[in-house]
Parts: sequence; structure tokens; C-alpha cells
Amino acid sequence: MVSVEGLTKVYKQKGKPEVKALNGISLSIEKGEVVGLLGPNGAGKTTTIKCLCGLIIPTSGKILIDGVDTVKNPQWGMGKISAVLEGNRNIYWRLTPKENLSFFAGMMGISRRKRREYVEELLHIFQLKDKEKSQARYLSRGMQQKLALACSLVKGTEILLLDEPTLGLDVESSYEMRQLIKSLVADAGKTVFLSSHDMKVVEDLCQRVIIINNGKVITDDTVKGLQQLFKVSSYRFNLEGELPVQARYQIKREFGLCKIGRDGANARIDVELKSAERFYDLVEILKRHCCPVRSIDHKEPDFEEIFLKIVRGKK
Amino acid sequence: MKKLILLKTMFMREWLELKRYPFNLLSGLIALYLIFLVVFVGYRALGAGSPKFGNTLDGIVVGFMMWTFSISAYSTLSWELMNEARMGTLEQLYMTPLGFDWVCIFRVISSFFLNLLFVLPILALMMITTGRYLHIDFLSITPLLTLSLAGVYGIGFVMGGLALVFKQIQAFFQIIQFIFIFLIALPISKQPLFKAFPLALGSNLIQKVMVDKSSILLLSPEDLLILLVNSAFYFWVGFWLFKHFLRVARKKGLLGHY
Ligand SMILES: Nc1ncnc2c1ncn2[C@@H]1O[C@H](COP(=O)(O)OP(=O)(O)OP(=O)(O)O)[C@@H](O)[C@H]1O
Ligand SMILES: [Mg+2]
Repeated sequence: MVSVEGLTKVYKQKGKPEVKALNGISLSIEKGEVVGLLGPNGAGKTTTIKCLCGLIIPTSGKILIDGVDTVKNPQWGMGKISAVLEGNRNIYWRLTPKENLSFFAGMMGISRRKRREYVEELLHIFQLKDKEKSQARYLSRGMQQKLALACSLVKGTEILLLDEPTLGLDVESSYEMRQLIKSLVADAGKTVFLSSHDMKVVEDLCQRVIIINNGKVITDDTVKGLQQLFKVSSYRFNLEGELPVQARYQIKREFGLCKIGRDGANARIDVELKSAERFYDLVEILKRHCCPVRSIDHKEPDFEEIFLKIVRGKK
Repeated sequence: MKKLILLKTMFMREWLELKRYPFNLLSGLIALYLIFLVVFVGYRALGAGSPKFGNTLDGIVVGFMMWTFSISAYSTLSWELMNEARMGTLEQLYMTPLGFDWVCIFRVISSFFLNLLFVLPILALMMITTGRYLHIDFLSITPLLTLSLAGVYGIGFVMGGLALVFKQIQAFFQIIQFIFIFLIALPISKQPLFKAFPLALGSNLIQKVMVDKSSILLLSPEDLLILLVNSAFYFWVGFWLFKHFLRVARKKGLLGHY
């Protein structure tokens, strides 16, 4: 549905070194997929999304939407994609939610009569009904962001690009936003490409994540796949009592990537094992030093840790 | 048909914002009227008794009307473009599938009509204040006004485009408004080459209709043709430059920067 090949964007500024915002990004998004775009600040997420919208002209590379190159033919893309860029902008602050929705529907050439029903429905779904008469600038940030999303839906395109949809939202609003996006995919069959710094959002919504750093794709895998990858190797050993000093040294020496801590009077070892056999090696050391093991946990790494590891280049 | 809905939608939005903030319109009206009063009182003190007093006064009223129309047309276009870039709505408008060109053209059309809301009361006030009731022949004035304003919109587009690329240009915005006074007052009868400037010939012809009680049918066809070419030229060059700056902004990634 969307395919990007070798996208680069170089910013040249007088008197400053040139910035390679995108350095050969290739990716593809299939119909009905929800794909997350992750990366630290300045990685190139916004630039990628704006290139897809035709708002930024890339230096080189191809963007194909349903097989048509939208770098050469931007107008084609406009009919296929709608986008919400960075949160609560995108809407008219002096208009009410209802007027905003009606305006953006009118911009699509939808007649007034058809528009009315559609707008009512969206106000209802987005729970903006009781605020329909107050100007957007008086709404809470969460509501503004919901409204921005609703306004992009009136375009009725299949592909939805969201740049940081939960930026600046509190826990509850963020949750609500996630539920809304989920239902858009489930009920309306939208294809969603979203960038976020919020790992919960990505974990909760996306089937697949693309992680970029310094304008390059460093990982493109399913969320499940990434979790699996890190899950097999992470263990926590809860011991009974202290860990003898010799044992501590030996473990430190043989298992570089480990953290020895304590849990009250009991020692605790967090370790990452490169292969399954290493598990027995560790148990062997503990046995030799007569350390009783209370329990062993398969520590579930959370997505944030996985992300950090990938970005820092550990694997 | 879809285009017509687009036009109506854009008009409605500007109308709603205007209606919601009548104070903006009102304060603008009052400020301009006060400027006019100063000019009028000053002129009456100096020029009273001169045989051409009445005619010159009429000229001032028409010139002032042209200036009012020009600055409101110019500022709604360029200022709004800049404001929308800042609010992030420009990016949404840019992504309109019906085409951003249409969005721009329709904005000009709706701004023309809405600016009449500003110009007509000023004109009425000026006529009441001076007691000079001008010859208002809509059939002659409308096409002349439209053509004169086309050049002004061209300038508005250029400034709006520049503002997208060079963000610190706002201070320059006001200066342009005073250049309009100069253009409106250019003595075309003394130097025909001045007809090449935007706004100059148009306001001269409107003077002829409103002050000298002429009609569009009595004006020189040659002048009308020059006006037509002049307006089309400034409008399209302005629009073309705007689109050029828009492209530069998209290259530099500046379309939604604030
Ligand atoms: N208009 C511009 N001119 C020059 N450099 C730019 C411009 N826009 C972005 N950049 C640079 O390009 C790089 C990528 O920026 P981008 O906004 O895409 O990052 P991002 O991943 O969205 O970051 P964030 O998480 O902070 O939103 C950054 O180094 C940024 O400084
Ligand atoms: Mg960003």
C-alpha cells in the first residue's frame, strides 16, 4: 500500500554543516496494518511522515502509494493519505468542534447535507458532543487532539499518518486516544502509521515497529518478534540469603551482562544469557557455592528496555 | 460542483471567524476612520476656499476607500497565510485533494467579498462626514475594483510566500501598506508610464467614475485593456512567486514551522 525506497533528506543551511535528516529510509506498510515509527529525538520521524504527506520534498528516494510515485505526483497522495501532525495543531482554534469538522468535510467537497450526519457521528464517537459549541482553543489538550484526529478522518482516506498522537496527554486521555485508534483499525479498516515516544502506545497498538536512528532504519520487526527476541535471554534469580563473595566474582567474570542486587536480606541476580546452556552454567556456580535458589523468574523485558537496547546498539 | 462546495466552505469559515470577533472588524474600522478624520480636518483647514476644494475632497475619499480596500485585501491574504502556517492548518489545507491552488484562489474570492464589509461602511462614513455624496455606479465600479485589487492580491501572495521561507519578515508587512498610498496617488495623467505599476491605473479610473461621474463605457478602451493586462500580470506573477516560495519551503521543511 505504501512503500518507501531509499528516502533521503539533506538540509543545507548557510554557515552550518548540512543535516542528514533521513539517510536512506526504506519501509513498506501493508493494507490494514498498524505500524509504529520509533526513534530518539531528531531521528527523523517527523521528516519521514511529512515526506509521505508531500509536505517535505525529499532529496532523493521513492515514495509509492498504491504503486504511484507521490514525489513526482503529490496530488495523488493527498487523496490517499490523511495526517495529524504533532498533536493539537491542525485545527482552527477559533472554531467549535462542529465547525471544524464541517469545514474539513467541506474541503473534501462533501455537500452540506451529507456532511451534517457525518459530523454528528464523529462528534458522538469522539465524545465531543457536549463541547460541540465551545471554541477549540478552550478545549482541553486531550480534546483538541481528539478533534484533530476526527478532522483528519473526515477526509475518509484509508491511510492515516499520526505524528505523536498522545504527545502531552495525561494517562486517561492517552488511554482514550489509544482506544479510539484501535477502533478505527478494527471497525473502519484503516491503515495506520504512527510515530510515538510512548512505548505503551506502540506496544498496545502496533503489530510492527520500525525503529530509526540518525535517519536510518535500524530495526523493522513485529512487536511480538522483538519481545520474543529479548524474552528468551532474560532471567532473575532470587536467592535465599547472601551471595558469597567468591560466587559474586565468578558470576561477574563469566556473565558480563548481569546485575547483582538485593531484595531485603536476600540476594538477587538479573542476568542475560546468550544461549540456553549458559543457564546451567550459572546454576552450577550457585550449586558449587551452596546458594539456595528461592525462585527463578523469566523476566519480561518491557518494551522501553528493548527500545533502548536497540537504539544503543546492544542485542 | 465539489469546487463550489470548497468555495462555500472557505467563505463560511472566514465569515464565522469574523462574526465571532466583530471587535477586530470594528476596531479596524474605527482606526481607519480616525485617520481619515485627521486627513479631512487638516485638508479643510488648508484648502478651504480653493475653487477645486470639493473635487479634491472627493478624490481623497475615493483614494482613502481604495487604500482601505487594498490594505485589508493584502493583509488578510498575507497575514492569514502566515498565521495558518504557525497554527499548522496550512499543512492541512495544502493536503486538500481538490488542490491547494483552488484553495488559494477561493481564499482570494472570499476575502474580496468579506473585505467589502469593511470598505462599504468606511465609504458611507466618509461620505456622511464630508457631506459629499459620490457617484456610485456599481456596474462600472465592480469590474474596475476587481481588476485593481487583483494586483494587490498578487503582492499579498508574494509577501505571504516570503513569510513562509523567511520567518522574520513581519516588520516589513506594514511598510507595504504605505506603499499602497503612494501607488494610489501616482499622477498617471502626467506620466503614462506609471500605468505599469499595480493599483495606479485602476484607482485612477475609479476616480474618474466616482468623482467625474463617468461610466466604464465612457473610459478609454485602451486604458481598460492596459488595466486588464496589468492586473492579470501582477496577479499571476505574484501567485507564481508564491508557489515558488511554497516549493522552497517544502524543500527546506519549513511549511509547518513556528
Ligand atoms: N527544517 C529543517 N531544517 C534543518 N534541519 C531540520 C529541519 N527539520 C528537521 N531538521 C533536523 O532533521 C533531523 C530530524 O528531525 P525530525 O523532526 O524528523 O526528528 P523526529 O524524529 O521527529 O524528532 P522528535 O522526536 O524530536 O520529534 C533533526 O536533526 C532536526 O534537527
Ligand atoms: Mg517529531
